[in-house]
Amino acid sequence: MKKEFILPKTLEELWEARAVHPRGALLAGGTDLLVRIRAGRADSQALISLDRIPDLRGISTGDGEIFIGPATTHQQLLDDYSVQKHLPLLRQSVEVLGSPQVRHMGTLGGNICTASPAGDTLPALYVLGARLDLRSPQGCRTVPIKEFIEGPGKTVLRKDEILSGIRVPMPDPGFRAGYHKVGQRKAMAIAVVSMACQVWINDHGTVGRIRLGWGSVGPTVKTLPEVEKFLEGRPLSLEVLREAGQMVSKGVTPIDDVRAGAAYRRLVAGRILLRLLDLLRKEVF
Amino acid sequence: MENQIPVIGRSQPRFDAKAKVSGTERYAADYYPPGMLWGAVKYSDHAHARLKKVDTSGAKEVPGVVAVLTCEDVAGANRVGIPPRPDQPVLADEKVRHRGDPVALVLAESKEALAAALDLISIDYEVLPAVFDSQEALMPGAPLVHSENENNILHKGKILKGSAKEALKECAAVVEATFRLPRQEHAYLETEAGVAWVEEDGTLVMIVSTQTPHRDRMEVAHALGLPPGRVRIMAPYLGGGFGGKDGISVQCFLGLGALHSGGRPVKIWNSREDSFLSSTKRHPATVTIKLGCGADGALQALCCRLFLDTGAYASLGGPVLTLALEHAGGVYRIPHVDIEGYCVYTNNPVSGAFRGFGATQALAALEQAVDMLAVKAGLDPLVFRLKNALRRGEESACGPLRTYSTGIASCLKTIMDHPLWLEVRSWEKDAPPFKRRGVGVAAVLQGVGYGPVVPDYANAKIELLEDGRIRVYSGVTDMGQGNASTYLQIAGDILSQRFGDMEAVQPDTARTLPSGSSSASRTTFTYGNALIKAAGLLRERILQRASLMLMGAAYTELALLPGRVRHIPSGRDLPLGLIASMLDSSEKVCVYSYVAPVARDIAGIDENFRNMGYPHLIFSYGAHLARIEIDEITGEVTVKSYLACTDAGRVLNPQAYEQQVHGGIVQSLGYTLFEDFQVQKGEILTTGLATYILPTAVDVPDLLSIAVQEEEENGPYGMKGLGEVCANATFPAVANAAARAAGRRIFEGPLTAERILEVLAEEHKGE
Repeated sequence: MKKEFILPKTLEELWEARAVHPRGALLAGGTDLLVRIRAGRADSQALISLDRIPDLRGISTGDGEIFIGPATTHQQLLDDYSVQKHLPLLRQSVEVLGSPQVRHMGTLGGNICTASPAGDTLPALYVLGARLDLRSPQGCRTVPIKEFIEGPGKTVLRKDEILSGIRVPMPDPGFRAGYHKVGQRKAMAIAVVSMACQVWINDHGTVGRIRLGWGSVGPTVKTLPEVEKFLEGRPLSLEVLREAGQMVSKGVTPIDDVRAGAAYRRLVAGRILLRLLDLLRKEVF
Repeated sequence: MENQIPVIGRSQPRFDAKAKVSGTERYAADYYPPGMLWGAVKYSDHAHARLKKVDTSGAKEVPGVVAVLTCEDVAGANRVGIPPRPDQPVLADEKVRHRGDPVALVLAESKEALAAALDLISIDYEVLPAVFDSQEALMPGAPLVHSENENNILHKGKILKGSAKEALKECAAVVEATFRLPRQEHAYLETEAGVAWVEEDGTLVMIVSTQTPHRDRMEVAHALGLPPGRVRIMAPYLGGGFGGKDGISVQCFLGLGALHSGGRPVKIWNSREDSFLSSTKRHPATVTIKLGCGADGALQALCCRLFLDTGAYASLGGPVLTLALEHAGGVYRIPHVDIEGYCVYTNNPVSGAFRGFGATQALAALEQAVDMLAVKAGLDPLVFRLKNALRRGEESACGPLRTYSTGIASCLKTIMDHPLWLEVRSWEKDAPPFKRRGVGVAAVLQGVGYGPVVPDYANAKIELLEDGRIRVYSGVTDMGQGNASTYLQIAGDILSQRFGDMEAVQPDTARTLPSGSSSASRTTFTYGNALIKAAGLLRERILQRASLMLMGAAYTELALLPGRVRHIPSGRDLPLGLIASMLDSSEKVCVYSYVAPVARDIAGIDENFRNMGYPHLIFSYGAHLARIEIDEITGEVTVKSYLACTDAGRVLNPQAYEQQVHGGIVQSLGYTLFEDFQVQKGEILTTGLATYILPTAVDVPDLLSIAVQEEEENGPYGMKGLGEVCANATFPAVANAAARAAGRRIFEGPLTAERILEVLAEEHKGE
């Protein structure tokens, strides 16, 4: 069986390649795609690589947002100063993603388009309010990540579109951030439960604004505005967090699988809020 | 290193390290003979079914497919396994008995053709009722895995001493508990692999990843209908074995393929998924224990019932059960024991040998019960163990007199005096917020060798080459434990030769001599003993011939030095190559056959039980301490510190010893915390390394290893087997620590965060 491997160097060449190979798979880092191909769960007749298109790589700052090319690897995110300075939440989520090997190969765009309920960067990107540029030969539209991901492995990406950019608004200063991941082991783990949090604490010690997102407890990242509303105006005390945790446990919709049971995920999704007690001792950005 | 004469007792890098690290060492999986075909197996679609028809016609039409073979192409017995139950078909004939049963073998030019052909094999089944639980399999009317048997019992055994049931009534404190131990996958780096071809004279040759080349030779010949002399098996260094390559894996497929390939070599290299599906596992076990002690804290009575799920075929299930029972009384004196166990067929994956060989499961249960009893009796768990620990000359709970080195008390005392134990109460109290800390200990043992019946021998062979170098013919596979390097260390020590002056030949039935399997904590013990003698003989011959060449110089005037013999009074050197030229070819090779001693107090023991390996004579011992932290929010366990004290006799190479201990602990930390080979109605749920969770480097703390070096008089240089005893204490030590930290015990392994959080939640319910 003949297989094609195409390395476009510009977007124009990419559109051409896609026209020639309408069923061709887009290859970013390959850390998910190659696994699916090996398991016979993805078409591998033609692989179109996004690796050599400069427009799809790199990180730039401007207009109150950080623009990240989708083919930027996780390691490049870790190495980038503006991500370190403005998006510590995203950085923390990438720090515990996969292994060093996966972080050097895998890309942010790939993590988004794979749309796994356990994708490590997704809760962070939901909390940060990321918007995604979807480009086709005909033009470009921008959608919030919340609307982009529809379910496990399902996105609104049309057949002629690619994810061409990730726009993350620069958060207002004075926040604290934490990504808390529970896996089956301490590295190379797929999240059994994860939670991303960004919080602004008032001068008098209560929550001014808080944004939370949970991974692996539903078909997509779970956000619970009622929990955020409950916490706003209250101190991050043990009692408050316990009460909020019970709301979380009721609000999430996990399933049983080979990694963990739904009951455990439900319980931990709530209890993990207690990690926010640590957050108060952490650095303010 | 290459320029030094190895010193016994001093750390030195392994002889094999450089080639392995630099990637030049060739494992069985690394061979790609010219013109080779790929082979792969079509596995069963059902856990239990009658085979009505296997239609290979579609598969045969795939371009690039050379052969599609079924049981009808197997000319021999089509059965592998050890007596008395060689019950495993090479390719399924009448029935399939588990999902990993092989039905057909495909040979093809490419992997793509192979995959296409495997998909096109059409099998007509009559699905049969199946049984997936060892205790259900014992019920009357349970489906029979092997219809020719009366029931599903592969093997049962009993050890009775005194009157345990009565004695338990007299005890001041008694605990009772049932423990469930999970199925564990070996998960060696190198999946089952090899190449095979047929020589012009009709000899079937294979290079294959195996712990048992000489036994394989007999099994392959029998199964495929060849004279054993026409089968040659080579076992290069293995990329891990741990018992999973103790016996036939791909050998018969390789052989069958090579006999039907039109003269071309055949290569098989299992995918990880096929390896998980078809390879043997550690037996899942259910162990019920009643244990009692007197008011003085002396253990009085043990009742133990043990059930092992052996899966669809016998493999080594019988001996595994036997060793589980023999080790069920642990390291203690217990006057009254009543131990009984069953090894039961089911339609689950085949269970077989796995580092620890049944002792691991029995000790995981017993050592938790010992901790529970210590708590109940209000005794310190370490003091309690030390009080009851066997000393040399005493009779063990379920074995013969301990007539040789018995260092468990020294191991326990070493822990008792160690800062990790001495400062433990304050450490536990200093737990950070939302963390709970606990420490646990466990004491274990492992019998060395095969037991009283199966002869535990090794035939060492060593040669002085014409260029004056020394060659050791290792008869026992090196699966990564480093025995080949130790053999050169021994030969170098005796012959005063440097590593660079020596070489090792890995097992090859045409060149090295039968020396048993690489297993049973016997590898260096047995072959090392043989090699000491063989090397001594060669030394004598070299000196004798040097004396002749020096016209009768006295041996006392001669010194064997690297590459030469020196006549000390004259300062004259005779190069070893020159001496070699003066030796007849029959003298250049020295061989020595050693048979390990066996227990003699075997009167009254059931013959079948003896044949399966009970009892052992020599044991290695160990006591481990684990400090753990539980995260109250998630239930996750972090092992913070770990100490292993081991009595495996004298240490030949401290670095290699430490590596073995570390490896055993890490493998068992996986068993304790993460590894759960999940099977539901015969279907494997953890099909690969993404869902079967092995520990990573960050899951493992710094591991401290202390060798309690009590000399074993039977061992080479006073050593005993190490490879298994180091893997037995981790489960119970960590479980005991977790029970202390959580305030409740979990009776089912592995101790996942989910299970821990469940018991923590129970505690809140009680409040």
